[in-house]
Amino acid sequence: MLLTPSVLKIDQEETKQKITRFVKDYVTKTRVKGVILGMSGGIDSSTNAALTALSIGGNKTYGLLMFERETKNKMDVDHALQVARQFRIRTIIIDITKLLNAIYKSTPDFTPPNYTAKGNIKARARMLLMYYYANSKNLLVSTSSDKSEMMIGYFTKHGDIAADIAPQQDLYKTQIRQLAKHIGIPDAIIEKPSTPALWPDQTAEQEIGIPYEKLDLILYGLEHFMETPQIAGQLAVPIKTVESVKKRWLKAEHKRRMPLSPKLGFRTVGKDFRLPYDTEVE
Amino acid sequence: MVNQTKVALAQMSCKVGDKAHNMRSMATYIKEAKKQKADIILFPELALTGYVTKDRTYELAETIPGPSTEKIAKLAKENHIHIIYGMIEKNSKAEGIIHNAAVLISPKGLIGHYRKMYLPTHSIFEEKRYFRQGYETPVFDTSIGKVGMIICYDVFFPETVRLLRLKGAELIACISASPSVRRNYFEILTAARALENTAYVAYVNLVGIEDGLQFWGGSRIIAPNGRIIIQAKYDEEDMTLGTIDYTDIPRTETFVPTLRDLRPELFDELNDLSKKL
Repeated sequence: MLLTPSVLKIDQEETKQKITRFVKDYVTKTRVKGVILGMSGGIDSSTNAALTALSIGGNKTYGLLMFERETKNKMDVDHALQVARQFRIRTIIIDITKLLNAIYKSTPDFTPPNYTAKGNIKARARMLLMYYYANSKNLLVSTSSDKSEMMIGYFTKHGDIAADIAPQQDLYKTQIRQLAKHIGIPDAIIEKPSTPALWPDQTAEQEIGIPYEKLDLILYGLEHFMETPQIAGQLAVPIKTVESVKKRWLKAEHKRRMPLSPKLGFRTVGKDFRLPYDTEVE
Repeated sequence: MVNQTKVALAQMSCKVGDKAHNMRSMATYIKEAKKQKADIILFPELALTGYVTKDRTYELAETIPGPSTEKIAKLAKENHIHIIYGMIEKNSKAEGIIHNAAVLISPKGLIGHYRKMYLPTHSIFEEKRYFRQGYETPVFDTSIGKVGMIICYDVFFPETVRLLRLKGAELIACISASPSVRRNYFEILTAARALENTAYVAYVNLVGIEDGLQFWGGSRIIAPNGRIIIQAKYDEEDMTLGTIDYTDIPRTETFVPTLRDLRPELFDELNDLSKKL
């Protein structure tokens, strides 16, 4: 297999159809009134919001804009609102600065600047608010995570990933870009650097240390059982880079699964107690 | 000997684990098929329960014959139609053993059933975790033709359909629950099985979404020369009907003489080598 950018090409219309069908089907089966998702103004959440609106209608899609003083960026707010207007998505805007400060102040031994520990509080605070609205309005929570970030564990456990559905989680970032363009997400959103907005001036690519175009091809190779020297050779990148991506992928498995538990019983939740998602109970 | 038969392919979506609901859907399709003068109607793999039943597979299993085959037989009798459908079979000798089965019922009652031979257990498939594989390839000589059945992944293995054909099957019913990422494989393989055996292949696939898996539909009847006679819609519930003309088979056998040109000695070698793989 040759690792060229063409392997990441998707059938954009078919992918759009699959995702919109998926969202509609699950909303129908779970008998909820709609879907809520965080809108940061970035490419992932803009695409997810637009696809959800295309699937069930903008009036059943709730975009939660949760900005805070340290990372607020006017351009991101404008972008989120622009997508919401374009796809007629309902919006709820909350400044979460006070909420975060309350958490920091109420936490004994809170010691900034531990970027990760503090940043994760932001992601989890956003999750808390999403579930508040989901519960009070009878909605599903949808995460905008993508496959690149899922594979290397670039997300907050029980934070941005905590959701009921993950419509675009099987698409690499570069594939989300293709889909975003196809459904009419503005170029300015597609082209700007991604950020989880956990601390000021944070950008995903800088933190990951490798451009998404390269990262996605490395991950695609790993997905297809290729050996690390083979991937490195084909992409003309140091083998150390590929191995470090592989290590991140393997190390992050605990973030993608149910909590690890010892096997004690006959059938164990999360291990060999397997039930379908789609059982519709009256 | 029958020359022609009208086949209905009912690509339904299922409510997972809800046999009563799925049976009602089947009854609606059966009545509609009869209205359109079908002689036989085909439903997808595990149509009675849905495909992704996971651990509920055990509680949903029934013997054949059993309560569900009796209900379907009643529908067959009332509508004077043959029916093929998929269900989870509880082995009547060992209750903990279950099979992925295709059942053939005529207006006179249960004719027989087939147990899936090749159980996919890779990627998202986990059939060997639940089912015991089948060992028999029965061909049923019925009033609507000589019928053999296979289930979904069986179509990847030419031996199964070859065996059915060599036993005289002229209509191969392939009932399926194929997710959309595999559409290309099935479109190629169903046509190949028809052409290499100069037999009719009636392929019926599930639609709908179960556990995030989207089934692509696209049910079709393929003539012995590989031509698609009719095809149902992709990705949505649909029923399509087509007429099979068995008198086309001898003509095709002359023009594409794959059975005449069979080389039995290769099968011996295949047998040896496959054991050593």
